[in-house]
Amino acid sequence: MYPFGGLPENLTSFCGALRREYGFHIGAGELLDAARALEIVDLSNEQAVRSALRTVLACTHDDAARFDGAFDRFFLSRHDTEVQDEASTQKRRLRGDSTGEVDDMSQASDATTASSAEAVDIFGDVGPITPLETGDQEAEGAPVAGARYSPLGVEVSQAPEVAEVDEAWLAAARVLVRRLQLGPSRKWRAAPEGRRFDVRRTLRASLQTGSEPLSPKWLARPRRQPRFVVVVDGSRSMSQHAGTALKLASALMGATPRVEVFTFSTTLERVTSELKRASVTSTRRLHALASAWGGGTTIGQCLAEFLRRFGGRLLSPNTVVIVASDGLDVGDPETLRAAMQALRRRAAALVWLNPLLGTPGYEPTALGMRIAKPFVTTFASVNGLTDLVHLSRTVHLRS
Amino acid sequence: MDAATIRARFRDRAFIVDEAFATALQLALALEKPLLVEGPAGVGKTETAKVLADVLAARLIRLQCYEGLDAMTALYEWNYPSQMLRARLSETENSTIEEREKQIFSERFLLKRPLLEAITEQQPPVLLIDEVDRADEAFEAFLLEVLAEWQVTIPELGTIRATHKPRVIITSNRTRELSDALRRRCLFLWLPYPTLEQEIAILHARLPGLSERLARQIAALMQTLRGLSLQKAPGIAESLDWAMALLHLHRDHLDRHALEQTLGCVLKVYEDHAVVHGHAAELAAALGETSTSLQPGGHSLQTDFGFGSVSTSGR
Repeated sequence: MYPFGGLPENLTSFCGALRREYGFHIGAGELLDAARALEIVDLSNEQAVRSALRTVLACTHDDAARFDGAFDRFFLSRHDTEVQDEASTQKRRLRGDSTGEVDDMSQASDATTASSAEAVDIFGDVGPITPLETGDQEAEGAPVAGARYSPLGVEVSQAPEVAEVDEAWLAAARVLVRRLQLGPSRKWRAAPEGRRFDVRRTLRASLQTGSEPLSPKWLARPRRQPRFVVVVDGSRSMSQHAGTALKLASALMGATPRVEVFTFSTTLERVTSELKRASVTSTRRLHALASAWGGGTTIGQCLAEFLRRFGGRLLSPNTVVIVASDGLDVGDPETLRAAMQALRRRAAALVWLNPLLGTPGYEPTALGMRIAKPFVTTFASVNGLTDLVHLSRTVHLRS
Repeated sequence: MDAATIRARFRDRAFIVDEAFATALQLALALEKPLLVEGPAGVGKTETAKVLADVLAARLIRLQCYEGLDAMTALYEWNYPSQMLRARLSETENSTIEEREKQIFSERFLLKRPLLEAITEQQPPVLLIDEVDRADEAFEAFLLEVLAEWQVTIPELGTIRATHKPRVIITSNRTRELSDALRRRCLFLWLPYPTLEQEIAILHARLPGLSERLARQIAALMQTLRGLSLQKAPGIAESLDWAMALLHLHRDHLDRHALEQTLGCVLKVYEDHAVVHGHAAELAAALGETSTSLQPGGHSLQTDFGFGSVSTSGR
């Protein structure tokens, strides 16, 4: 039933599988904790073992959601896939090592349904794309994300490349952030001049002058920093421009830590951490979100979903919402209107970046754009650096 | 303490936890690691820490995070007026600057804030760091340091080390992603909305006077409501409020009229009312199904006699 005889070997190999195939972040510390956890719980109780390992090994909600499947596959139905594993080992010998891993993955996604022959067919279909990507991945030694080899794998190639943010973009983003600085925050910080007397530092200093507070110290309130929410349209009509919007988001991330990035086409996905990772490693594509790229757009629904899931906490009078979309909407116009109205009401500024605006003779006449426009505080295009510089000059906060 | 004991102790305090939850708590206690609890609002994340403190007979120290929370507010402050007074009084003494500094910056004049309090407590307390996602990244980094070392350095006083590691529960509503570093320091538990059966059990545990039929109807409606795309989905607190409201109104079951009357207990945003009215059919189905499925069994007759539920306990 289990691949190895002893518990430690099984645990190590399970953690290895989670790391490789499901993208878990597991280090030696986690492995040790998992071993200690198994000493504590009742090993005859499957549910207890499962919960214990999930608690220790999963770090995020996504991890936790994927964990049960991985656990079932590794500990409970290993014998089901054994036959296929043998077949894939043979193929690995035929194809060479680098593609063998892809075989495993395509089987992993439909291990129970597809026979090994079908798995080969699936592999054959995406063949021209995947070997290249596998090469990349192994060169970096980064964990393999399961989603890359899912049936949606073909769409992955449509994910726009995130261009490297150079100094000029970063400078423009800094100007934008600085220009949008809001009123004073609630924090008090030590400052050379300020409105409040700093008793602590004055007292401390007075000890040097025989308890006479000769040099008064002050506290001041720093300016509140704006928070940015960037929502990027990932539909097919935007495929040329989404990369630029993501570059803008990356530049903002470089200028301030308070940036959250989302992409949408028919569903909404938060990509903040993926984008952060993409901008520091040499992988310049957002792989983990196959479903958010390509296809049509239901802007209204996705914005409504954003409001429902994240609106309560992300939107505040400090928040600048930036929507990058061409406004070609296939959804319900009323939903869009309501969502735009709510966004406008709850955010400090609502910027709409329409890449088509740069095109000579373009008028925002598409239905979606016509509905959205009245609620937008700044309507601009961002196709390049000059546009971003221009944006940083024109954007203003709702008073 | 093993998982079964934890479940039983929590149940004694009218708090229903499932096996995964109990195991997570067991491990957090045994491995002495912080437990990061994430989940939608209103599923009882904060309550967990309170009940845990009660179960362990430990003190609960709560640090509520908010935007702009800084290290000083979380750790300690000096009692300036007393220090000032002492400095004045000691002016006439013939002591050196060092001696006077030592006097003024002694533990007597230190006002402990939650984190320092948790570290200096004699019995290991339960430290609840609530809504950590509301605090900013700088504070998270500071928190990491405290959670790793369990020691605090006060420049004027020196380093204070924890005698016992506090039991730490951290809650987050996922408004922003927490850093990987913080996640890796913690055990992780995702606390979802309760299932139908769990919610019925919770309602019964909290409100012993509630009839079986009403509890089932409330739980079924909650499941339906959480399935709709509401701006603020109702949590367990809302279902308890709602059940209590219906008890007050002497309702033994939910019908359309009662629903209209008391919907304000459940839906807190104006737009959500419109959404719910748009799905009247689904709600009616949730109401109808439960009532028809219960009638043959006659469960409802055991607890109420057509007068509505009679609350027998204090709650």
